[in-house]
Amino acid sequence: MEEKVLEILGEHCEEALTYEGDSMMEDGVIDSFTVINVVSDLEDEFDIEIDAKYVVAENFKNKEAIVALVKKLLEE
Amino acid sequence: MQLISLAFVILWAIAFSLYYLAPERMQRYVLLAASLLFYVAGLRGFPLGLPATWLTTYACGLWLRRELERERAALSGCSGRESKKEIRAAFQRRRRSAQILYLICNLGLLAFYKYAVIALPFLERLSGSRIGFLEHVMMPLGISFYTLTAIGYVVDVGRENCRAETDPLKLLLFLAYFPSVTQGPFNRYDRMREQFESGHAFSYDRMLRGVQRFVWGAFKKLVIADRLGIFVDRVYGVETSSVSGSILACATVLYMLQLYADFSGYIDMAMGVSETFDIMLPENFKRPYFAGSVAEFWRRWHITLGAWFKDYVMFSFVMSGSGRKIGKACKSRWSTYGKHVVPIMGTLLVWFLTGAWHGRTLSYMLWGVYYGVIMSVSLVLEPQYARWKEKLHIRDGRLWSFVCMARTWLIVFTADVLIRSESLAQAGAIFTAFLTRLAPTSLLTEITSYGLNRYDFMLLIVVLAVWLAVSVLEERGADVRTYLASKPLPVRWICYYGVVLTLLVTGIYGGGYDTAAFMYQSF
Repeated sequence: MEEKVLEILGEHCEEALTYEGDSMMEDGVIDSFTVINVVSDLEDEFDIEIDAKYVVAENFKNKEAIVALVKKLLEE
Repeated sequence: MQLISLAFVILWAIAFSLYYLAPERMQRYVLLAASLLFYVAGLRGFPLGLPATWLTTYACGLWLRRELERERAALSGCSGRESKKEIRAAFQRRRRSAQILYLICNLGLLAFYKYAVIALPFLERLSGSRIGFLEHVMMPLGISFYTLTAIGYVVDVGRENCRAETDPLKLLLFLAYFPSVTQGPFNRYDRMREQFESGHAFSYDRMLRGVQRFVWGAFKKLVIADRLGIFVDRVYGVETSSVSGSILACATVLYMLQLYADFSGYIDMAMGVSETFDIMLPENFKRPYFAGSVAEFWRRWHITLGAWFKDYVMFSFVMSGSGRKIGKACKSRWSTYGKHVVPIMGTLLVWFLTGAWHGRTLSYMLWGVYYGVIMSVSLVLEPQYARWKEKLHIRDGRLWSFVCMARTWLIVFTADVLIRSESLAQAGAIFTAFLTRLAPTSLLTEITSYGLNRYDFMLLIVVLAVWLAVSVLEERGADVRTYLASKPLPVRWICYYGVVLTLLVTGIYGGGYDTAAFMYQSF
């Protein structure tokens, strides 16, 4: 699962894979368009629904947070 | 009550003294009293706006909280993914209905105050009689700001990103907090609650830092913005056909700086005041004119408004049922560009609303659409730009960064002609003047004919250079106040006295020490 999430993220924003901070959205590494496209591809890939309430800086602060979000939604 | 007024300084000083004399659990009531005093002093017309928004927000928050508790209870007694999904969907529908009702009430109130004046002639023509009371409707102080702040709170409670507040007075303080009630920045409750709840001990250093930021903001407002405003108002105020294109272009460039100095000056003052109470507000500006693209410009300008529209409009629309359906349909129909359709629709919606929020004229709507279209086109053409850049062997570097910045300035320049002009006809005449009668030499011969003399321009060059130097330092990651504090005493005091003396001697003060109103206050 993790590899696939990273693959999708890398397709839209390579820089996100090497980013080591914890505020990817505020630092301008990923913009809102990228977030929308990543969310859309993750939903299609894992058959999950990522509600707007999950699209917050905390869940997109780095690649690990995105993986953790998908994992959480898969467990729900 | 203006932030730059004796009355405000007295209110601030009294609130500051009482705040640190009061027991820690009472400190927020001192802030609330100061906020209500500030609000009442600035009241215009019947004060319906804030109480109505406060009470409906409080009630809606509590109702959502109860509904979320009921949903959790229903989910705990249920197993199976599908049935859980159904329960969630049912509760979500109920919450959405309540939120829509709440939005209708509050946005309706905002629209009423914002558009009643321009709707009046149409309504009178329609009814065939005079509607006298509408003539006296005046926008309540800060309604554009506290309405969006309140909506953000209700959405966050519904999304479980924030706990609903049970203490109505704490919520009132959040909405009416006096440093930010009139022009922002937009606060989020989860970040403000903790600061309002915890006790704050007096700190001399913090007080000094807060006052420094306040003075720096006043400097930007009085020395830079209000001085630039004299020239801009004069040029835009005369018959456009009598002014050369170069003077109009110069006035527009100075307007870009005026708007930035005015608004960021206010934000510095608001943040400085708040910092003296140990309440940190979110940053609203990050040196926008260093941006290499329009999208980046808007991530650096009025940051909290952009974040508000992104979180509560853009994501709500894109991730709604309809947004998902359209997205899926477009992706299967157009494999390459289909994925852009919903983000583009969201962008256009956001920018139309941003325009409508800023002003009630057609120019503002057009201004919003202009930015929406530019952002959308940039999104679609981004891969193409990358290919062109590679083909033309353009390398990243200082020169390319400057070209990108200059491109952004040009786009913002065009947009600012729209919002500074009195009408679309004037904006059209100004664009025509740029193209047909630029007359560059008139810039040298006529520039001092519009309210500012050569000494004003010399002063402006010096203070703008100081501002640029501060911005460059900040852009490199330095905190200028900390940087100054590390310097020897004589250097420090020369800087402090330099700013204060320049402010006192060269600030633009109106009659009776009334300063010009802040520009964003009218939005």
